Amino acid sequence: MSAAPAVSPPIAGPRLRIGGRSIPLVLPKLGDPRLKLSATIITLTILGQTILNFQVSLPQILVCVLLCAAIDVVMTYRSAKVLVWPASGIQTGISVAFIFRVGGTRHGDFWSMRGLHIFVLVVLLSMVPKYVLRRNGRHVFNPSNVGLAWGLLLIGPSHVFSEHLWWKPLGPAVLFSMAVIFGGGWWVLRQVKMLPMAATFLAAFFVFIAALAVTGHTYWATWHEGKVGGSFYWLTIAMSPELLIFVFFMISDPQTSPKSQMGRNIYAAVTAAVAAGLIGLQNTEFGIKVAILSSLLVSCALVPLFDKAVRRVEDRRAGAEVEPWLSGPVGRQLAIAVRKPVVVAITVIAVAGFINTALLAGNDQIPLIERNLTGRSVQ
Amino acid sequence: MDEHPAHESVHASPGRRVATSVGLVVLIASAVVGSNLFGVRDSLFGSATPEPADVAASRVASKGASTATTAPTRTRLRSQPWWQQVTTLEGAGPTTAAPFTIDDGALQWRVKWTCQTGHLLVSAQGPHPVVDGVCPGGKEGFGNKTGPVRVKVTADGPWKLQVEQQVDVPLMEPPFPEMTAPGAAVLSKGSFYKIDQNATGTALVYRLADGSHVLRLEDFFVSPNSELEVRLSALKAPKSTEEYAAAPSELVTRLDVTTGALNFRIPAGVDPTRFGSVVIWCQLVHSAYGAATLGPAQ
Repeated sequence: MSAAPAVSPPIAGPRLRIGGRSIPLVLPKLGDPRLKLSATIITLTILGQTILNFQVSLPQILVCVLLCAAIDVVMTYRSAKVLVWPASGIQTGISVAFIFRVGGTRHGDFWSMRGLHIFVLVVLLSMVPKYVLRRNGRHVFNPSNVGLAWGLLLIGPSHVFSEHLWWKPLGPAVLFSMAVIFGGGWWVLRQVKMLPMAATFLAAFFVFIAALAVTGHTYWATWHEGKVGGSFYWLTIAMSPELLIFVFFMISDPQTSPKSQMGRNIYAAVTAAVAAGLIGLQNTEFGIKVAILSSLLVSCALVPLFDKAVRRVEDRRAGAEVEPWLSGPVGRQLAIAVRKPVVVAITVIAVAGFINTALLAGNDQIPLIERNLTGRSVQ
Repeated sequence: MDEHPAHESVHASPGRRVATSVGLVVLIASAVVGSNLFGVRDSLFGSATPEPADVAASRVASKGASTATTAPTRTRLRSQPWWQQVTTLEGAGPTTAAPFTIDDGALQWRVKWTCQTGHLLVSAQGPHPVVDGVCPGGKEGFGNKTGPVRVKVTADGPWKLQVEQQVDVPLMEPPFPEMTAPGAAVLSKGSFYKIDQNATGTALVYRLADGSHVLRLEDFFVSPNSELEVRLSALKAPKSTEEYAAAPSELVTRLDVTTGALNFRIPAGVDPTRFGSVVIWCQLVHSAYGAATLGPAQ
C-alpha cells in the first residue's frame, strides 16, 4: 500500500533551511494509514528476526527502507519542491524486505551483507514503475508487488525466493503473528474502507484453493517432508500469513485499486481467480508464491476495465446512456494504444508476469530446490 | 511515462523518446530473461542445478566403449563425485594399449598402477606423463582428457593399470540377482528423514536365501560430502547427532555415492534385526546427516 506523492506546498508549517532556501516540510500525520501499516509490518519484522526465524539481515532491511525512502524524497521534491516524509517509500521498502529473500542468508546472520545488490535491484524494480508507469496521475502497480514479482521471475529460483508460506508449525509464535496480521489488517483496512474488498478476495480464494485441494493438487516446500496436500494444502495457502499480508496490505492499495466499492469487489474476485488459476499449475512453493504476487499484476493492469464496467452498470441503473467499451473500432483503438509507451509497458508487465509465472510450472529445477536435492542450500 | 494521448508521446523531446525506447527494450529483455526460455536466465545468472545427464547403471562403465552412462534415465540430480571402474590393462614391457573411453561428463580419471622392475612411464596424448614411477611400486596417476584415450606404456617388466573415471551422476544399481531369487525377502524398511543435513529415500534390509543380508537404498539422496558412512544404530529414531553418538552402532559400508539406488552387503556378524535404524554418518564433521527408522516390511 502506498500513496501517490501528489503534494501541494503547505503555506504554513515547518520549514527546512538549506543553503539559503527555505523548503517546506510535510511530516507524517498520526492518522495516516500508511503509518499503521508500517507499524504492523515492523512488528512482524521484529517477530521474524526474533521468533519466526526469518532469513533476512538488518543491512538487507535497511538498504530496502533507506533506498526506497531516498527515492521517494528526491522524486517528491523534484515534482513539488517540498520535503515530504516518505511514508510510502518506507512502506515499500519494509514490504520488500519483509517478503524478499536472497538464497543462502541464514536466520541469525543479523549483519550479513549477502545479496545487497539484489535487494537494490528489487527496490528499483519497485520504485521505477511507481514514478514512470502512471495512469491519470496514479501509479498503476503496487510498488512492492511489481518489484517482488518481477524480481523473483527475473533472478529466478536458483538465487532468490520469497518468505515461506508457512512460517513455523502452528504454535504460539505463529498464532501471535496471525493476531498481529489480522489486527493490523482490521486497523488499516477499516480506515481506507477496504474490508469488503479483502473479504471478497478471501471468500473467493478460499473456495478456489479448496477446489484445488480436493482435486488432489500438491506442492513441494523446503520446510515439509514430502508433498503438501489435502487439508494442509488448503491451510498453508489460504491461511498463509504471506497470503494474508498480500490481501491486507498489497491488493488494498487505494492508489492501484478501483475507485468504487463494486469495482474493488470485482478486482478482488478477479485477483483471487487469477491467483488460483496460476496456483493450480504449480507444484512448488516458489511457484505458488510467485503466482499470488503475479495475479495482482494482471488485475492492476485491468483496473480501468473494472472502473468502466462499474460505470456502465451505474449508467444502466440510472437510465443514462451507457458508455461503450471502446470509443471506436477495435483496430483503431489498438493502433492508438500501441503508440502509448505506458500502455505497452503495462501490458508487457501484466502479460509477461502471467506467462512467466505459468512457465514456472514446467521448470524441473524448482522441485529439486524445494526438496533440498541440489547439494547446496538455496532457501 | 505517464499515460498521455498518443500525440504527446509522438511529439515528446528526442531525449525522452530515446529514454522511453530504451526503457521498453530493457523491460522486454527482462521479461524474456524472466521466462528462462532456452535457459537464458540460467546462462546469465547461473543455476542451482546442472543440465540433465544420464545416470550411471553400474559401478563399472559399460563394456567396449566404456561410457559412464548406460541407463536411459536423465536427471539434474548429482552425487558426491565417485570413482567408476573403466578398464584394467596389463602387460610386460613397452606397449601401446587399446584405447578406452572416458565419459564426456567425467570430472577426471585416474590410473592405479603397479609394476615389478625398472621404471614405468605411462603417457596419454598429453604433455605430461600420467605415470612416471619407479618399480617395484604402485600409486596413482591422473588425467583429465575425455573421450577416447590411448595410453602408451614404457616399462621394463610386468605392469598393471586399473583405470577409473570420476563422475557425479547418480548411480542406479538394480537389485542383486540374489535379492529377487527364491528364498530372499525384505526383512525391514524405513524412510529417511533429515537430522543435520538432508536425507530422503527408502532403506530396505533384505535377507538372502543363504542367510546373509543386503541393505538397499532406493530413491536415495543425502547431502554430499566425503567420508560418509552407512551405519546401523540401536536407536529406533535418532533425532540428533548427540543422541545417535551416545548409542551403539555398526558400520555397514563407506558411502561414496550419495544419490541413486544402491546395494550394500551387510558384513557377516552384523545382525540387522538387532538394530532400529539406518543412519548416514559423516566421519569428517562428526555429524548424523539423516536416518531411516526400520520397521516391518509390509
